[in-house]
Amino acid sequence: MKMEDMSLSGLDNTKLEALAQDIYSDLVEDACLGLCFEVHRAVKQGYFFLDDTDQESMKDFEIVDQPGVDIFGQVYNQWKNKECVCPNCNRSIAASRFAPHLEKCLGMGRNSSRIANRRIASSNNMNNKSESDQEDNDDVNDNDWSYGSEKKAKKRKSDKVFLHSLKQHIPLNPNSPRRSKSVKHKNGELSNSVNADPYKYNYNTGINYETLGPDELRSLLTTQCGVISEHTKKMCTRSQRCPQHTDEQRRAVRVFLLGPSASSLPDADTMVESDCYDASDGQVLMSRLQWDGSSDISPSDSASSKASTNNSDSKKPKKKKKMSLGLNSTGGGGGGSGSGGGSSSQSSLVGQSNRKKKPKLPVPPAPSIYDNLN
Amino acid sequence: FDLSRSYGSAPCIPTRTVHVSSLKIRKTNVVSVMSPAGCPHVNGFKVDNWKQNLRVIYQCFVWSGSAETRKRKAKSCICHMCGAHLNRLHSCLSCVFFGCFTKKHIHEHAKNKRHNLAIDLLYGGIYCFVCQDYIYDKDMEQIAKEEQRKAWKLQGRFFPLFNPSVGPSGVGEKYSTWEPTKRELELLRHNPKRRKITTNCTIGLRGLINLGNTCFMNCIVQALTHTPLLRDFFLSDRHKCEMQSNSCLVCEMSQLFQEFYSGHRSPHIPFRLLHLVWTHARHLAGYEQQDAHEFLIAALDVLHRHCKGDDNGKKANNPNNCNCIIDQIFTGGLQSDVTCQVCHGVSTTIDPFWDISLDLPGSSTPFWPLSPGGDGSTLNGESHLSGATTLTDCLRRFTRPEHLGSSAKIKCSGCHSYQESTKQLTMKKLPIVACFHLKRFEHSAKLRRKIPTYVSFPLELDMTPFMASSKESRMNGQYQQSVDVFNNDNKYSLFAVVNHQGTLESGHYTTFIRQHKDQWFKCDDAVITKASIKDVLDSEGYLLFYHKQFLEYE
Repeated sequence: MKMEDMSLSGLDNTKLEALAQDIYSDLVEDACLGLCFEVHRAVKQGYFFLDDTDQESMKDFEIVDQPGVDIFGQVYNQWKNKECVCPNCNRSIAASRFAPHLEKCLGMGRNSSRIANRRIASSNNMNNKSESDQEDNDDVNDNDWSYGSEKKAKKRKSDKVFLHSLKQHIPLNPNSPRRSKSVKHKNGELSNSVNADPYKYNYNTGINYETLGPDELRSLLTTQCGVISEHTKKMCTRSQRCPQHTDEQRRAVRVFLLGPSASSLPDADTMVESDCYDASDGQVLMSRLQWDGSSDISPSDSASSKASTNNSDSKKPKKKKKMSLGLNSTGGGGGGSGSGGGSSSQSSLVGQSNRKKKPKLPVPPAPSIYDNLN
Repeated sequence: FDLSRSYGSAPCIPTRTVHVSSLKIRKTNVVSVMSPAGCPHVNGFKVDNWKQNLRVIYQCFVWSGSAETRKRKAKSCICHMCGAHLNRLHSCLSCVFFGCFTKKHIHEHAKNKRHNLAIDLLYGGIYCFVCQDYIYDKDMEQIAKEEQRKAWKLQGRFFPLFNPSVGPSGVGEKYSTWEPTKRELELLRHNPKRRKITTNCTIGLRGLINLGNTCFMNCIVQALTHTPLLRDFFLSDRHKCEMQSNSCLVCEMSQLFQEFYSGHRSPHIPFRLLHLVWTHARHLAGYEQQDAHEFLIAALDVLHRHCKGDDNGKKANNPNNCNCIIDQIFTGGLQSDVTCQVCHGVSTTIDPFWDISLDLPGSSTPFWPLSPGGDGSTLNGESHLSGATTLTDCLRRFTRPEHLGSSAKIKCSGCHSYQESTKQLTMKKLPIVACFHLKRFEHSAKLRRKIPTYVSFPLELDMTPFMASSKESRMNGQYQQSVDVFNNDNKYSLFAVVNHQGTLESGHYTTFIRQHKDQWFKCDDAVITKASIKDVLDSEGYLLFYHKQFLEYE
């Protein structure tokens, strides 16, 4: 009887059982056959034994579980001499001191501005004092420009180029710590070498504008405060929003150095305030039912952390504080040049003002020679 | 050695058997030079319109695309000699003949008709009677694969994809394992040493040098490099960098995985990573000692932005647009329902989150009592009556309805006035990796301290009771939540624990990570040691990383 002519209805349970059993064992056999084919093909194509590992390698990577050693069988604490190359300044730094070095190297952190202030203050009064240098044994860069954290890495490159061009004015002193390869500086050693290098303090306190050409000046003034100190005749190297000087002073110096048509400072109001990620302004309650992606809140502003009433603000990312420098183009303020003469050059600065900037928190002014100016 | 002479067109199988088998060894070598696993006897077949003929054979007799073809196959494919349906039925490639393999009926046909090739009707393999073996010819296999794909599509067989770089999609290819090319095979044969990852293997584990109070970064790196999905994403080289500059953090992450799987024993120095994170997350840099949780969020954020290749990242913050690996793995949705006490209108917001920050008992805000009606029930095998606070307790507190009080009235759109309200948080969408942050560091107006309260946390966690959907069913009257054993959606497994030892001012971070399912290791900067599950569960816990147990296709 042909298969398709058979009917199941006439069969009793045992026959049905037997049929089911037949079908089941056929399926199992087919599955086994499929596996055989897979293996056969793998062997024939040559990749079946590919992932077999050799005994030696197995032993090499075996986990060790003994007291006093780690899983690789190594004794603890043998990694003191590791070094790495700083991506910013390309110097070789001891790995365990890399973080503090980088912090200063990038000009970040609460220490940098304090150190910079101190240096400015101490440079004129105490030519021989090298106290500030002793603080950062393994780093010289922060003696130079206080970059401020608002500068992008890109911008920093051009500052570096500028730095190189300035270097030409300074005789290279073999005793200068900048030249020394070793990271260790004893307190006593530094003071000697620093004394011998008069130009070093030029770096510390600011730039001598007389040594710079108009192009260099212009470029410098787009990124730095630039106000010339009456006492030292040097230009301030802090950022354009440095709290030591007012915007009017900054405008004045630009006019003085570059002529009356010099560009003015960008308006504080036009500065785009943005953080590295969007900070939402508290919980905004809207009647949205679905998470349709229209939420502007970034997950980095975890709603869960805001939800709790526990006041733990200081560990969360700080919100931006707008610095009020008294620079309001709309207000009368000091001087009418805010809205007037600035307009033409405002547009040229739009590109700059749209750069992401993070205003530095105002530094409590250290008692310094600039107090009189303010 | 003249091939054409020996492999003529008319082999007489019995007499040739000896001859052929004695040549088999040498022939295999020759053959493997000609084409891997193929054979020269197919050349007789590959004439005229052979491709089309072969396709027809596959379509009609091997892969049934529809009910009709299936029926036709069942009816017509029987052994011409014994009538059997099964017994490894083969079809002759040169003529219409079906013969079973088991009883050698197809062999007889091959010998009589000198048709050397036959095809297995179950799996489509090609058998060569001269070689007396199944052979794998590249061209013929190509046709077989295409026909198979076509038939499956007709059948409606969808192969769901979970492609981390693209996202889940409906129809995909059946997953095929990697096969080496001839050249790769050669290379592998010449280089027999292998770095194979077995259960007792150090590969994937590596210490990290502390760069000066950077244990907060090291502990997070350990947690991330042991996140299974993230590891798989990077080890399969899925990141295609679109950033112009050299400062892509995702690339650096990828490099980090390479370092971890390199087999090197000496600890890695993550100075480039630190530099990149600090240049991209300025607010982090410069504190002497930092918070691991803050670092985690900042790192995820930078990775998320860089996944889009967009340095400025404003549009990358829109969760709807972004399908990067970070969002796929870490982003969940937190639902906030504010209910007006007067008109009972509910205003709902859903916000994305990467972590859940949980208050602890012992902080200045009161911890107990928890949500009404939930006391006494055991959840996840823990009972809060036993005394020790559990993670579940913290989650229940987190999702409790909270009366906002008369000083915090909100404008109700129903009442058009300011009213008192209650607020409740629940999980709308759970991420694949859920990170729980126990808020041990208190920075209130007068107090700055660390809360050392022990919180017990489980190896396996069911998040069902904290879901928005559960809340809805509770509101609809099903008060007591019955645990659905078949619903695997919300089940999580612990895979990393970050601990903080010490005080608020000065402390040290370490991480326990899980490797190879049930092995745990303690990562203390440069030192990696084996740990027991008990060590892990007894630890204080600061950041707890849970991974979804079952990944579903959408």
